[in-house]
Amino acid sequence: MRFRDLKRVPLLALLVLGAASLLFDLTLSARLPSGADWAEAAGALRARAEPGDAVQLWPVWAERARLFVDAMPVLAEEDLANADYVHVQRLWVLSLPRAPHFSAPDGVLRSRGAAPLADAQRFGAIALQPWDLHAPPIAADLTRSPEEHEVDYVARRCLRVAVGSRLTARGGGSALHVRAGVIGERAYDAGRPEIAVQIFADGAPLGTLEVPRTQRDGTGWRRLDLPLPAGPAERDFVFAISSADPGRPFCLQAWTTR
Amino acid sequence: MKRLARRLGFLTAAAMALTQAPVGFVRDEGYYFTAARSYEEWLRFLLQAPLQALGQTERYWSYNFEHPGLTKLLFAASHLVFSTWLKLLPDALAWRLPAFAFAGLLSYWLCILGSRRSRAAGVLAPLLFWCAERTFFHGHLACFDIPICALWAGVGVAWLRASGQPPAPSRQLWLAFVYGVSLAVKHNAWFLPPVLLVHALLLRGEERKRALLTLPWLLLSPLVLFAAWPLLWHDPIRHLGDWIAFHTQHVHYAWWYFGQVLRGPPFPVVYPLVIDALALPLPLVALLAAAGAKLLADFARRRLDAQRLLELGLAGAALLPFLLRTTPIFGGLKHWLAFVALLTPEAAALLVRAAEQAPWPRSRALALGAAAALLPGLWQIVHVHPYGTSAYGELAGGIPGAASLGMQRQYWSNNLTSVLPWLNAHCPPGARVYFHEVNVESYRTYILSGMLRPDLRYASGPAESDYVALQWHREFRDREPETWNAFGTHRPATGLYLDEVPQIVVYARPGLPGAP
Repeated sequence: MRFRDLKRVPLLALLVLGAASLLFDLTLSARLPSGADWAEAAGALRARAEPGDAVQLWPVWAERARLFVDAMPVLAEEDLANADYVHVQRLWVLSLPRAPHFSAPDGVLRSRGAAPLADAQRFGAIALQPWDLHAPPIAADLTRSPEEHEVDYVARRCLRVAVGSRLTARGGGSALHVRAGVIGERAYDAGRPEIAVQIFADGAPLGTLEVPRTQRDGTGWRRLDLPLPAGPAERDFVFAISSADPGRPFCLQAWTTR
Repeated sequence: MKRLARRLGFLTAAAMALTQAPVGFVRDEGYYFTAARSYEEWLRFLLQAPLQALGQTERYWSYNFEHPGLTKLLFAASHLVFSTWLKLLPDALAWRLPAFAFAGLLSYWLCILGSRRSRAAGVLAPLLFWCAERTFFHGHLACFDIPICALWAGVGVAWLRASGQPPAPSRQLWLAFVYGVSLAVKHNAWFLPPVLLVHALLLRGEERKRALLTLPWLLLSPLVLFAAWPLLWHDPIRHLGDWIAFHTQHVHYAWWYFGQVLRGPPFPVVYPLVIDALALPLPLVALLAAAGAKLLADFARRRLDAQRLLELGLAGAALLPFLLRTTPIFGGLKHWLAFVALLTPEAAALLVRAAEQAPWPRSRALALGAAAALLPGLWQIVHVHPYGTSAYGELAGGIPGAASLGMQRQYWSNNLTSVLPWLNAHCPPGARVYFHEVNVESYRTYILSGMLRPDLRYASGPAESDYVALQWHREFRDREPETWNAFGTHRPATGLYLDEVPQIVVYARPGLPGAP
């Protein structure tokens, strides 16, 4: 390339950048769903809905779906690998594969043992695919929360319990699953002591779930999974919540699986 | 050239005035409107009973003590004249009018700086600054960010005139005045004297001597601060102390950045540069980056003249506090708008130079280059305005790309204007509405300006409300499940979704009008 040609480069680069930017801007809406796409996808879900179904949005910001989907719970779990999907037997993944920075959820879902039940169906810019999570069946929902609370930026069906209180529940199963965290931004309060959930089954200690102050997003919803020793078909569980600082809003979820 | 600069200034102010109506009242404006109301009362009192008014400055001026008085005094005076007396303008427009004047001044001074390179650069410099929704949006607000950005450039122009020619007291007095005005606008101005001192020291020979002799004129500038801020007329030391303490102990607001909510220092050192790169249109980002690199390279090679050296210093000084990792970072790029502004003259010059070197006729090459640089930003304005704090550029992947990256979705609460017509149409008389991040001051202004029905009541939370208008903020995600629990439904009634990304989500109690 001659020196004279090099002088053209800055303007040409700017023209290419400008044209590419405009192309991106003007075509963005074509890569996103229209109202008709949403309505069609919601209609398909309505037609095929069964008990135990839920919709997972991907990317999680695609919450405009809530305006349209009325046949089953709409979930916006951010960590597909570790989300519990309690009570969900079939997960409909509603995704926007042409959205910028989209990362396909398939690999993560497969890595947790889920398998697609059918090919993805397209509704314009929306892809809809049912997945079997191969999750062990629920034996007992020990917290049976009628409410949802935000912990670690995800709505959780957990029970708000006072720190310093005890929660009792009865149920069977071969494994116990306990989840807990501080609701909202108070999870990040500096200098606060941890909250401990001590778990007893028929009076015998099973374990303790410790919930320290959240330091990094994505770590605030603490997990404890315990195998239950052989014993009676049903047991009395006690969850004792304690901390030197009782002031924070605390949420607990527990269930057993067969 | 001044004529061209004046025209661009007027055009800028007119553009702001013509496009301001749908711009919602940001949280800060709510406070400044309230302050302006109080100061307007004082002005009327001053006209009726001057001595008594002078004795009661503290009563009227204590509100919003954390910011100097000038801009709020101008908001008040504008409202007094154009709304209270002449009844020519609606309240919000009257309050915002001085802000448009500052936007015009910014264009004027950028044109002056650019036109010292070429006439085309003089035109392009302000256009480059304003052709982005983020900057364009801020030009509409009765706040301090664009005014201090304008004065950052204005002080630069005044300094060059005062120090770059044989001494003339009129130029030096003008510099002292302009710097005084900047002090009376926002505390960012505290950083300017060190920049001017370093600039003076980096000049050579006679230039350095003239510049150093110009500096002491700035000692007059606090007189403007004092004159324009009646709060300081009684017990000035205490009020100055309160002002300084507020900013040296400023709280940190949560800010979402690449999937993590930043709550306190240390912040990422590259944070302000990354925000600029992601929020502004890509061609502008490239030109600003090239301008910054060129200025730095020429600085290293000692090839900067006094003006370009000053532009580099002013741009750097606008950015520097946010590279320290401890300065509060909330508010997106509004706090370092002067960084963008002071790079635009160089960016404009680079664009002109690139056009001149192309193998086409200069005018055609310049038109093509300008179109490439400006059209994406113009599209951003057309597409996103008036929701300026939500705008993201092509590098982020637009608004949906930024949402996927985990970037702050919006700030303040001005996007609420998108759902006000729906609320007005559907809410039954006396309905209680939870407006979330909209403070009561902005709520009152929406009613005052006729954008919200006056019978709609301000509710303190979802449980106490009939309707909820949630602004999507990462740190307030708990409000949506709270609403679900209170209303017994997960289905919104309507909302503002920009390129599908939720900004405002409205819920209605089942059974009420508009509920799904």
